[in-house]
Amino acid sequence: MRAASVAIVALLLLPLVAGEFWAYQMSLLYVYAIAALGVGLCWGRAGFLPLGQGLFFGLSAYLSGLALIEFDQSFWLLLLVPLAAVASGALALLIGMLVFRRQGESGPYFSMITLALALLAGQVANNWESVTGGFNGLKGIPGLPGLDSFVAAYYVAAVALVLSCVAVFWLYRAPLGVLWAALAHNERRVVLFGFDTNRLKAVAFGVSGLLAGLGGALYAPQQGLVTPQLCGFVLSADLVIWAAVGGRGRLFGPVLGALLIGALTSALRDSFRFWEITIAIVFIAIVLAYPRGLIGMLAPFELWRGKRPQRAAVLGAPARVQSGEVARLQFEEVDVKVGEVQILDRLSLAIDRPGIFCVIGPNGAGKTSTFNVLTGELRSQAGRVRFDGLAIDHLQTHRIVALGIGRKLQIPSVFAHLSIADNLAIALWSGRTKPADLLQPRLRRWSSPLLQALQERYPFLADAERTASELAHGERQILELALALLSEPRLLLLDEPCAGLSPQETAQVIDVIRWASERRGATIVVIEHDMSLVRELADHVFVLHNGSLLAQGSVADIQANDSVKAIYVGSEK
Amino acid sequence: MESVLVAQALNALFAVAVLALVALGLAVVFGLLGVLNLAHGEVVMIGAYCAYVAQTNGWPFITALPLAIAVCGVLGFVVERWLVSPLYNRPFDTLVLTWGLSLLIRKCAETMFGLGYKNITEPVSGTLDVLGATYPRYRLLLIAVSVGVLVVLVLWYARSRTGTRIKAMVDNPELARALGIRVSRFASATFVAGTCLAGLAGVLIAPLVPVQPFMGLDHILMSFFVLVVGGLGSVAGLLTGAAVIGGTNSVVSAISDSTGGYFCVLVLAILFLWQRPSGIHARR
Repeated sequence: MRAASVAIVALLLLPLVAGEFWAYQMSLLYVYAIAALGVGLCWGRAGFLPLGQGLFFGLSAYLSGLALIEFDQSFWLLLLVPLAAVASGALALLIGMLVFRRQGESGPYFSMITLALALLAGQVANNWESVTGGFNGLKGIPGLPGLDSFVAAYYVAAVALVLSCVAVFWLYRAPLGVLWAALAHNERRVVLFGFDTNRLKAVAFGVSGLLAGLGGALYAPQQGLVTPQLCGFVLSADLVIWAAVGGRGRLFGPVLGALLIGALTSALRDSFRFWEITIAIVFIAIVLAYPRGLIGMLAPFELWRGKRPQRAAVLGAPARVQSGEVARLQFEEVDVKVGEVQILDRLSLAIDRPGIFCVIGPNGAGKTSTFNVLTGELRSQAGRVRFDGLAIDHLQTHRIVALGIGRKLQIPSVFAHLSIADNLAIALWSGRTKPADLLQPRLRRWSSPLLQALQERYPFLADAERTASELAHGERQILELALALLSEPRLLLLDEPCAGLSPQETAQVIDVIRWASERRGATIVVIEHDMSLVRELADHVFVLHNGSLLAQGSVADIQANDSVKAIYVGSEK
Repeated sequence: MESVLVAQALNALFAVAVLALVALGLAVVFGLLGVLNLAHGEVVMIGAYCAYVAQTNGWPFITALPLAIAVCGVLGFVVERWLVSPLYNRPFDTLVLTWGLSLLIRKCAETMFGLGYKNITEPVSGTLDVLGATYPRYRLLLIAVSVGVLVVLVLWYARSRTGTRIKAMVDNPELARALGIRVSRFASATFVAGTCLAGLAGVLIAPLVPVQPFMGLDHILMSFFVLVVGGLGSVAGLLTGAAVIGGTNSVVSAISDSTGGYFCVLVLAILFLWQRPSGIHARR
């Protein structure tokens, strides 16, 4: 807080101390910093890289420039800045929805399409002379009504920058920000908590478009000139460089990058001809060796800011709204073929009572694939999967999960770079939040009776600020199991929950599974190799072999079954 | 009338051939190593500037080819060794890194040659009669060279021991290493081959386009879309992609303008991303 107050005082005093020239220079950089903030949000938080932010900056600059010229000095023009920004934001949201719609693709496709869009926008601005003024751009744009002196424009930009930082700070603290950080590293896990990650990413891109738009809308009255270069490649590239060099992962990183590199560039560009080459080399070095950027170098000096405030008192999470009925699951003759390999071969099985069901079978029998089909991550070619009577085999994963299914993956996949508290919070939000709730930072303090009971059993779960990557393997398995339990699904899928655990840890996990089953009366399906565990856990056993159901029944039935013996031990038949 | 049709057909063939030639280097690197080299367009640009250097020194055009292969080969080796190879299996970081590299190369070109457009004279001038249509000789030569390069490459990849080893490397690097194949050396060679092909393409297209530091952007985008549409890992994919993208671009550009063509290509790429993310000729 102290650092922020110092920064704000410095912002306010700068024109008085440094004079009008620097006020003018800085106000331009503030506008760029607002846009760079959006790049930091997409890249540093949500994990995808927009290479064409100039599109949104330029679009909004043209809109605001045209309106200022058309309706000179009407006071309602002050409304225009947010409107132009919203237009850019809406376009970004739309593009995000379109591109992220199916693939959940965050890699090259998204970046290349944004780059191509920016180049396209640059071409349109260049060629559409009647509206945009062509190559020379829109000239003689008047300032905002009543705010057209250099100093007034400075304060407008400064206030906009401060407000943008506050807004992004808010988002980073809210559940939305936590989910962005989570999906950047493990998108599949976030989907398995029932969140539509494609929409979350589209929202992130929309916010970044809004910020770029705000920058552009202020740029036009401030500079009095809008040219096609704003839309195109150069500004888009500069924004990425500033965000990276400043430090994309932190709120103030991109701001620092834009202000510092921007100021140095205007000071050095003409006198030092290798300046831009130097910046490109610095960028490569930062990407390769020091992703935290300049702001990461300040970390040692942050001690004086004092300790992080502890989390305030916990809030009770609302109960998950779902039908109290017992989960009913049916596989009806499900066929899955990938390439030439028959993964599931007319698999049929049904579960219609609570209890612990174990799925066993040799390697390649289709156990994990069965789970993948159930959660919609593997598509079946024929047959039906029903949950509570509803056919779910064509639903998207996050929708299937939202019906009341939870899943723990084979390899522990907790959100390693997030704190334990945030890991647990994400599980608690699953199935209990509406989209608007994701904007409320207080949801990070949620707790539930089940969580408290788990924390009593496993005190390390209460060690809120510890990062999950610091946990030992056994603790991670427990955390992963806790995450799967906390969303309180009616059907819980556990894939080898004891893999790689010591006998003692295994006993603990078995204990938790039994306890959760008795306490919650949920249906739990466990994939397990170890027959001794199956004997301890299972109320009912399914044996899979070559993608179909070989046998089912109680543990004793299975052990007496000849065909089961045959596949495990081998037989003459 | 017939001659107009022939000319149009040759134009289309030319557009596809050039696009396939330019995309080839990217296809090799992206398809075999999984590295989307965003500096690919800039390597093409370097090739074009090699032609310019040869011209200003009064050397014959043909000398630009070894020059480009030398410059781009060394560049590819250095980049693979020290920048890209630490990042295999981290596609996102390679993307950002090669994007930074593209920036660096562009800035270097700006510093060395300035922002202005350079014109390269065609080494083979004049026209030739093809089925009644008069067509520039250099363009015909370029079509022939593209076809030749593709055929040689395909035959070599399908028949040679090295090609088989590269296939093994692509399929399963760990196993290939265990069998005594020097995977890191093959990866390096593949990357260098990709940059050399890009440089070669740059030299060959130099007389037909304005040579300037920003020319790489268009080439990387178009090449990337060719691979999106066609799919990775096969020559059929490369040609189909080049035909779809090149065809769309030239037809729509002819009807409206270059912005329209560009827009259609972009829409097409997004549609493919939805419906067929692994392209028309998917590897699997």
